[in-house]
Amino acid sequence: MPYRIEVLAHEEDGRALRIEKLLASRGNPAHVRVADVYTSESKAAADKRFAESLANPVTQKTGSLPRDFDWALEIGFLPGVTDNIGHTAQEILDLCSGDSETSAVYSSRLYLIQGDLSREDVRVLAGELSNKLIQRASIKSREDFEKDGGMDAVIPKVHLDNKGAVADDVDLNISDDLLELVGKSGIKNLDGSRRGPLGLSLTYLKAIQAYFKKEGRAPKDIELEMLAQSWSEHCKHTIFASPIDDVRDGLYRHYIKRATKEIREIRGESDICVSVFSDNAGGIIFDENYLITDKVETHNSPSALDPFGGAITGIVGVNRDCIGFGQGAKPVINRYGFCFADPRTNPGYSRDAKGNDPLLSPATIMNGVVAGVEAGGNCSGIPTPQGFVYFDDRFAGKPLVFVGTIGLIPREVNGKPGHIKKARPGDKIVVAGGRVGADGIHGATFSSVALDEGSPATAVQIGDPITQKKMSDAIVKEIRDFGWYSAITDNGAGGLSSSIGEMAEQSGGFHVELETVPLKYPGMAPWEIWISESQERMTMAVPPENTDKLIAFFAKRGVEATVIGTYTDSGRAYITWHGETILDLDMDFLHDGVPETPLRTTFTRGGDSEPSLDEPKDYAQALLDLMGRPNLCSKEFIATQYDHEVQGGAVLKPLQGPGRVYAETSITKPVLSSPKGVVLSQGLFPRYSDIDTGAMAAAGLDMAVRNAVAAGVDFAQLALLDNFCWCSSDEPERLGQLKRAVETIYEMAVKYETPFISGKDSMFNDFKGYDASGKPVKVSAPPTLLVSSIGVIPDVVRSISLAPKAAGDSLYLLGVTKDELGASEYYDMLGVTGQNVPETDAHQNLRLYKLYARASRDRLISSALALGYGGLGAALAKKAIAGGFGLDVDLSGFGLRADKMLFSESTGRILVSVAPQNKKAFEKNFSGFEECHYIGSVSYSENLFIRDVLKVDLKALDEAYKAPLRNY
Amino acid sequence: MSARVLILSGYGLNCEEETQFAFQHVGLEGRIIHINDLIEAPNTLDDYQILAVPGGFSYGDDTGSGNAFAQKMKLALWDALKAFVSRDTLTIGICNGCQILSNLGLVPGFDGAYGERDVAVTYNQSARYQCRWVDVAASGSKSPWLAGIERMHIPVAHGEGRFMMSYETLERLQSGGQVAFSYIQPDGRAAGGAFPYNPNGAVADIAGITDHSGRVLALMPHPERGMFTWQRDDYHEMKDAAQRNGESLPEETDGLALFRNAARYFND
Repeated sequence: MPYRIEVLAHEEDGRALRIEKLLASRGNPAHVRVADVYTSESKAAADKRFAESLANPVTQKTGSLPRDFDWALEIGFLPGVTDNIGHTAQEILDLCSGDSETSAVYSSRLYLIQGDLSREDVRVLAGELSNKLIQRASIKSREDFEKDGGMDAVIPKVHLDNKGAVADDVDLNISDDLLELVGKSGIKNLDGSRRGPLGLSLTYLKAIQAYFKKEGRAPKDIELEMLAQSWSEHCKHTIFASPIDDVRDGLYRHYIKRATKEIREIRGESDICVSVFSDNAGGIIFDENYLITDKVETHNSPSALDPFGGAITGIVGVNRDCIGFGQGAKPVINRYGFCFADPRTNPGYSRDAKGNDPLLSPATIMNGVVAGVEAGGNCSGIPTPQGFVYFDDRFAGKPLVFVGTIGLIPREVNGKPGHIKKARPGDKIVVAGGRVGADGIHGATFSSVALDEGSPATAVQIGDPITQKKMSDAIVKEIRDFGWYSAITDNGAGGLSSSIGEMAEQSGGFHVELETVPLKYPGMAPWEIWISESQERMTMAVPPENTDKLIAFFAKRGVEATVIGTYTDSGRAYITWHGETILDLDMDFLHDGVPETPLRTTFTRGGDSEPSLDEPKDYAQALLDLMGRPNLCSKEFIATQYDHEVQGGAVLKPLQGPGRVYAETSITKPVLSSPKGVVLSQGLFPRYSDIDTGAMAAAGLDMAVRNAVAAGVDFAQLALLDNFCWCSSDEPERLGQLKRAVETIYEMAVKYETPFISGKDSMFNDFKGYDASGKPVKVSAPPTLLVSSIGVIPDVVRSISLAPKAAGDSLYLLGVTKDELGASEYYDMLGVTGQNVPETDAHQNLRLYKLYARASRDRLISSALALGYGGLGAALAKKAIAGGFGLDVDLSGFGLRADKMLFSESTGRILVSVAPQNKKAFEKNFSGFEECHYIGSVSYSENLFIRDVLKVDLKALDEAYKAPLRNY
Repeated sequence: MSARVLILSGYGLNCEEETQFAFQHVGLEGRIIHINDLIEAPNTLDDYQILAVPGGFSYGDDTGSGNAFAQKMKLALWDALKAFVSRDTLTIGICNGCQILSNLGLVPGFDGAYGERDVAVTYNQSARYQCRWVDVAASGSKSPWLAGIERMHIPVAHGEGRFMMSYETLERLQSGGQVAFSYIQPDGRAAGGAFPYNPNGAVADIAGITDHSGRVLALMPHPERGMFTWQRDDYHEMKDAAQRNGESLPEETDGLALFRNAARYFND
């Protein structure tokens, strides 16, 4: 019989208040109380001490629930879904009972609602508080509750009907049509159902067919599954690797990798790159003692299905990329970037024509993603000071969720370079961290395809930051420095198949005894164990003499570690299951057998003709409207939820100036005793792709660089990361857009001498389904390149925030302003696209940035803001809000119509304020540079004043900027 | 001989390194010890004069912030802990550490009755995590941690930082001088429960409390994140003003005073 403990808050509870507010906002005033519920089959759970240990007597009580409610709504997890609270409760139960083998505890939450609500109202609320993909919601009226004697005790235990599971043979001697079906829907089960997408094209399946013909046998299911994930777009980046038009060596080698190679050659002695493109993250020099590493990942598809789970898994996943860099880097900073549809809208897309399988609303996706990164980052004790949010309705099908982690690692670990690792033949394969479950099956192949009706729910995982934190601390704070392992890597997409497969490339093969892998529950088939993406696991190569002490040490830190096999030099990927061979593949075929698929592209410039628009009648109102647009308004609600202060190193924070303007550049000291800081920023302009993806990519790269420059980065110690999030990458036109973007950033990076050190791509950000009226639609994210920058500032005393510091200071606009409003925020507000998308002149910009770097080194600049969305108008407004000062500006000297001058998004521009005593030196610094324009001063007034154009009250600006997303 | 500081780590505590840095900066020897190692050898505490339970997210705040970690300590370490605080030692719990000390009943520990849970540190009124800088006023002058401190500008970062307690407990805390810190407005007036000055809705604006002796301090704000001027949220304004006026910028700021007080307590 299950035991059920209900812990009711009897004092005011913030969680209940939030729901009351939500209900009140739609005219359903109600009184809500929250009870935390724990259910277990363990007898020990009946002990009073267990209940007492779960309730804080000051605010909570256990025992019978009150009856003064109208509805009871309980939300719990479905079987197999990670239940972190349940795990902790089980640990407490183990401690209370002194028994380490008690059965699982399952958590759920019960809401007691008193108010005039219909069952439908409660059902809608349940929909908002839960996600049916991972959670169950039960609703009872008080009558039912009385009749049943309370809520039902639910034990969401996994029951897998896989007794004596073995690896099955798969017949590939079938027609091409059937082969394609295997690729698209997966291997056929005995009952005729299919196991979920392999994501293998016919060309790939033919290569596999030929391989097994040569081997003279049929493949096992696990072999096909391993090949599918190894060859997936997600793992192999086939689109970037394939020959494309006349570029024989593919986009990645020809452009991205070559840019870095050329820059390193030009730099020679002053090269900052230490580890690029070869590891889980890229690494550059921080100082004489440390490297800093950086990696930015995307987690778009999982976040579309389960925003919270997708986002938390994304952030803790990229943390592991850091832990898996070299000998293991310590995560020191997280960053994020989200692209959503406007949360105040809902297009009502559905996976089916009847609207029975709707996509989550933009608000639900945004709230879940924001909360997921919050939980992952905050729980892990990693500061999250830098990020951005961008809105466009085309992200309603799939949001873009970027998550990044910066790591710190000594340049020397145990007398050897910290960034070097190598699994050697004879090393034992040790897996540490969480156990394997059926969660996250087919994640790698799934994220490489567009979302449609058949997207598997098992692709969803929920991260468990505390399990990971225990493992991470044990590795990067202790074990790493013992020198007990030869190599380490993380388990992400593709699970063990991927991590062991990749590490075995170093030794030349492996043998895994799959039955030794610790499981969350019995009954999993071998292929499931092998490709499961259950989280919080690292794989290590450990010399045999060290395994016992390694495992014992992990145990002392509450972390499970297990030997599951051996690295070999046999040239074979080899797996046994209770002694029987179930996988035996040639390593070369596994890693290099992917057939080349040459790609062809076309390119057409987009956009309309440049419109001829009237000037706004009321410039002040136009600016206020612009500042309230989602892309420009404050995202303070995110910045305050993300702990950006933990580890104590935050210098330039996400909310700047007394007016708290949301900034997209941060500076953090990863070593408290060093004056040096890490400068981070990002740039992304999806809408420019509507005209030209080259302009889009250039603007993003320039923004990432310019933001860092404006904040005071040492230009010689600045590197970049690229994240391409494309759509429909099987269409020549989309590939043409991609090629143009890649060509452009190659040229820019080389000109700026800012090397790429790491990158990732996500090529199918499309949703195929139905709109609200049941018509078929395809919603594709605009082709998007995110460029992230990471650099070093030699002394944080030189850092520059965006807020003006004193009235009387001079304002200068640095850089050229052109008639470039194509695809701008201003045009979008007016409902036009136009043609004049900003073109980036890297040569001209570089001149400015070098002069600027000298001025910032000499501390001549009091505040600086790189111009982005909304151009000069938005920058002036943000500066005024941030500093709480008026600005007195005259733009008549530029010869551009005021609306173009204010709202053009020409790249390469920085708006600065300079103190009177530095004015002369500042102007001297830029003498001979024709694009340093004095435009006015910081004033004693309460207005943003632009001569002959507008005068707007600071309070009105502040409100326009802060109101739109304030209540999220 | 200067005092030795034991800084706990493990199971999701995460501020141990910067807390160690703070103690070392004021000349104390700080050692980070994993909770499991301490449980294995509770006598280790005998070698230390200061115990710091740092901030973090022990057990992910599951079952209530600080609860699970406190249960673990209570079951495995209670006698050693009680002996430690009963000696002439100092104990500090910051943020998650504050929640843990409260769940353990090491604060308020009225009249030395350690072990009673009299205060809860629970969900913010907004049910949202809050990372922001606040102003707090110090009271309860009997605590050695607070000597000479009047107010501090330091950050909070928590989802469950709201002190709640019965009226009787509140009165007892106040009359016994056990309220260590209260949230105030920048102009020095009481926060009066108003957000954002009081970031979590804590009763009577309480940000930190001590035990009956004043030697055990539990506070939600993070002094170790506000001990150097470069850590401050107004650092860029301060350094700009200093440059303008030709003044040098002080290196240290408010939060460090707590750690200096700890050093002084054992040195004087």
